[in-house]
Amino acid sequence: MSLVELEDVGLVFRVRRCGRVSLKEYLLHGLFRPAKKTTFEVRALEGIDLRINEGDRIGVIGHNGAGKSTLLKLLAGIYPPTTGRRRVRGRISSLFEIGLGFEHDASGWENIAYRGYLQGETPKSVRQKMQAIAEFSELGEFLDMPVRYYSAGMMVRLAFSIATAIEPDILLVDEVLSAGDQSFQAKARERIGSLMSSARAVVVVSHELEALARLCDRVLWLDHGRVRRFGPKEEVIAAYAQPAARPQRSAA
Amino acid sequence: MTPYLCRVWRLRYFWLALVRMDLRSRYRRSMLGVGWSLLHPIAMTGVLCVVFSTIFQADVRSYAPFLLAGLITWNYLVTVLNQGCQCFFQAESYIRQYPAPLAIYPLRATLGAAIHFLLGLLVVLGLVWALQGFGNLLALVSLLPTLALLFLLGWSLAVCMGVVNVMFQDTQHLTEVMIQILFYVTPIIYPADLLRARHLDWFVAINPVAIFLELIRGPILEGVVPSPATLAMGAATAAAAAVVAALTLCKAEGKLIFYL
Repeated sequence: MSLVELEDVGLVFRVRRCGRVSLKEYLLHGLFRPAKKTTFEVRALEGIDLRINEGDRIGVIGHNGAGKSTLLKLLAGIYPPTTGRRRVRGRISSLFEIGLGFEHDASGWENIAYRGYLQGETPKSVRQKMQAIAEFSELGEFLDMPVRYYSAGMMVRLAFSIATAIEPDILLVDEVLSAGDQSFQAKARERIGSLMSSARAVVVVSHELEALARLCDRVLWLDHGRVRRFGPKEEVIAAYAQPAARPQRSAA
Repeated sequence: MTPYLCRVWRLRYFWLALVRMDLRSRYRRSMLGVGWSLLHPIAMTGVLCVVFSTIFQADVRSYAPFLLAGLITWNYLVTVLNQGCQCFFQAESYIRQYPAPLAIYPLRATLGAAIHFLLGLLVVLGLVWALQGFGNLLALVSLLPTLALLFLLGWSLAVCMGVVNVMFQDTQHLTEVMIQILFYVTPIIYPADLLRARHLDWFVAINPVAIFLELIRGPILEGVVPSPATLAMGAATAAAAAVVAALTLCKAEGKLIFYL
């Protein structure tokens, strides 16, 4: 049984031509003018078939705008597929956009609790992990301060420490291999390495081909929202690294 | 429906913690704490009492609690509408990271407003008790279903406003205009009998805010248990709002993120 199954999944973004539409405009258009199409469609993903099994370590590569991050968000359940089916068994934890989502007026400690609760923790389990999270972040007494006064690097440290404190079944990682300063980066790498070995399945998006080759077994190459190639890492990375692999069309 | 509410319940620690934080930051920023944020309705009551007792010779002892009860109920609904508009924008970064049920964000806004409303209600109860005493304690029990209905109504309104405001940016502005108008046509600062005396009964009857004002004021000020008909009207209003909110969420769940 696979942990995650994508069956012929497609995702279409509807983008408005001119930013947001106002209610006034919408009503006026509806009443006095024939409805004009004000949106255009972006096919972010198309015809994706993917089975993630127990023990899989999958790397995702592709050029900017190829749909890598979108694929991760779809796997995480944040984007619903427009077509096709997504089935998941197990607890998913995702590491992306982790610098966001803090309550700026609350202290570091409180934000640890909030994030923990959002990830499905209870006050009891959060209390048990609190100390370990604080230690890993190395923020010390800054944790008593409102997050508003944190530097960007400190926020990343905190976010990373919280996000990696739970033991997920399925781990989704998006380019956080470069979190924080030098010393923290080394620690973060180590933490991700140990998480990856304990998680039942991992999907990593990265542009660092060497890191991917080290971390993954199989690699998925996305090109304009479609799977260009999916297979053993050496094979796909070699094909991707060739000059001919450059995108034919400009990124949409 | 039920599994959805179960998911909301499972995340209770999250939204309860956020509500607690909202209230704390609201009350912490001042020396007067809770009193400070109740200052607005209380000050307004004071001013209007002076004005009305001078111009219309109103009896302050009955008018003051009447007015305060009306204002806090009105303020609750206005807060729910306004914060409902903002709730998804405020939670944008959470929505982008975790697939949590959307209803928790309007719930956060509503719970904060509801707790604030309850504090105001305590002030009203204290005022009535000090000025005239309670004739009928049993009537106060009839407030409980009303409060539950008000909460359901508030949550539903916040959900609808939140979704519509994400789709159409000027919703909040239009809402503010509507609120302003509604304030004057609703018996908040004047008694509903004033409208009734001019044969505008229907106008009071179709105004859902007026129904809830009656449900709140009747038991507290006059010690009367509201009539089943009025209570049913209130329940119908809340239920209708809840149905619209549920349908809205059904449509928006998952898709809202594309519009944020």
